[in-house]
Amino acid sequence: MKYAMLVYGDQSAWAELDEHDAARLRAESMPRWLALFEEMGKADPAVEGRELEAASDAKVVRVVDGERVVTDGPFAETKEQIGGLFVTTLPDLDEAIRIAALVPAAETGSLEIRPVVER
Amino acid sequence: MATARNGAIDKIRRERTFARKAELLARLEAVPAEEDADVSTIPDERLALLFTCCHPALAVDARIALTLREVGGLETREIARGFLVGETTMSQRLVRAKRRVREAGIPFRVPPDEILPDRVPDVLRVIYLVFNEGYAASDGDALVRADLCAEAVRLAKLLCVLMPDEPEAFGLLGLLLLQDSRREARVGPDGELVLLADQDRTLWDRRAIDEGLRVLRRAEAHGRPGRYQLQAAIAAGHAEGTDPQTIAAVYDALLQIDPSPVVRLNRAVAIALAGDVAKALDLIDRLDELDGYAYLHAARADLLRRLERDDEAAASYRAALALTDNAPERRFLEGRLREVEGRDVRA
Repeated sequence: MKYAMLVYGDQSAWAELDEHDAARLRAESMPRWLALFEEMGKADPAVEGRELEAASDAKVVRVVDGERVVTDGPFAETKEQIGGLFVTTLPDLDEAIRIAALVPAAETGSLEIRPVVER
Repeated sequence: MATARNGAIDKIRRERTFARKAELLARLEAVPAEEDADVSTIPDERLALLFTCCHPALAVDARIALTLREVGGLETREIARGFLVGETTMSQRLVRAKRRVREAGIPFRVPPDEILPDRVPDVLRVIYLVFNEGYAASDGDALVRADLCAEAVRLAKLLCVLMPDEPEAFGLLGLLLLQDSRREARVGPDGELVLLADQDRTLWDRRAIDEGLRVLRRAEAHGRPGRYQLQAAIAAGHAEGTDPQTIAAVYDALLQIDPSPVVRLNRAVAIALAGDVAKALDLIDRLDELDGYAYLHAARADLLRRLERDDEAAASYRAALALTDNAPERRFLEGRLREVEGRDVRA
């Protein structure tokens, strides 16, 4: 089964940190991210993962009555935004849940597991 | 180097899991034949199916519906009645649930040791509900559908074998055995419902009671009470003729674990049996959320009847009748309704 794991978190909290604190927090959580990547790599060597820039840098594109409308993100009112995603092939949902719980961001935000449609 | 080491660790883990599974299977086969001859012949696939149907990725309603359909073998129509929804709605719910099992990649297996404890309460609950469906089938003339009750007891036994250190599995089994022991006594010669207090105790299945009590003692020895152990303790109290005050006190403990409206209703009935009818009525009158539940109106009607508030009692019996199509229950309620109406005329 192929799963997308969407990493949700409150990015504004990151943005409010000064550079020094942000670097320190990154360094602190790094061993756990590395452990995650090792575990993910074992489960699926072809796993793909991407971290996204802050949602405040997002552009939102819509086509309304044939007209292109571009606005700044984030467009959602929710505090949690997608901060990254993984796409990975795993034996079943239980394994996907196990891996998702290893993502450090699951403790401050949440992980959404979505089966990828394969036709 | 690291890869080789990880490979070795994986291999050890796999072997451990395998050894544990083999041990469980051996124990499953070692269940004494006199306990239940069927246990050793149940294929492990059935348990895997049970855990699949009870997977937390499914909505609770879907888990129960799917288990009743796939493991319990109930008709969609029967499940729909149990859920108080239309047959079409239930049919769609089942189709969606099956699709979700497939598309989400819900595994077909007994969960590995590390997640097994998380999954057990869901399975316990579903087994409990299967028993309920069998114990008070929502339509037809058979008040008790022995096959479903037996099915639930069998599944509970299987869980006990698989999880010998899970007191709630034994608590559930004890509860089901104790309830099931009164099966013959619950229905009178004309198919009418017979209340606990009026039952012919010689019809109670002494062997099931003894087994239920034994199983409950084993559960309680762990010192980790849970909702099923407490409910079993209540059922044991009824079987052994424990005084109503003690039974009401067990309900207080149950309420701490499970403050649901149905438990509150049952606790109120226990308080009435212990003598405080006015307090019981007051508690029941506060259960607005159970307005669509026949037993609330039946219980209320009974308390009002005992207080000789016959007009109100009659209204509650009618409300209960409007909500039940179980024939023996209807006969019982109609009998009581005639009784209070008759008294009303005389008065």
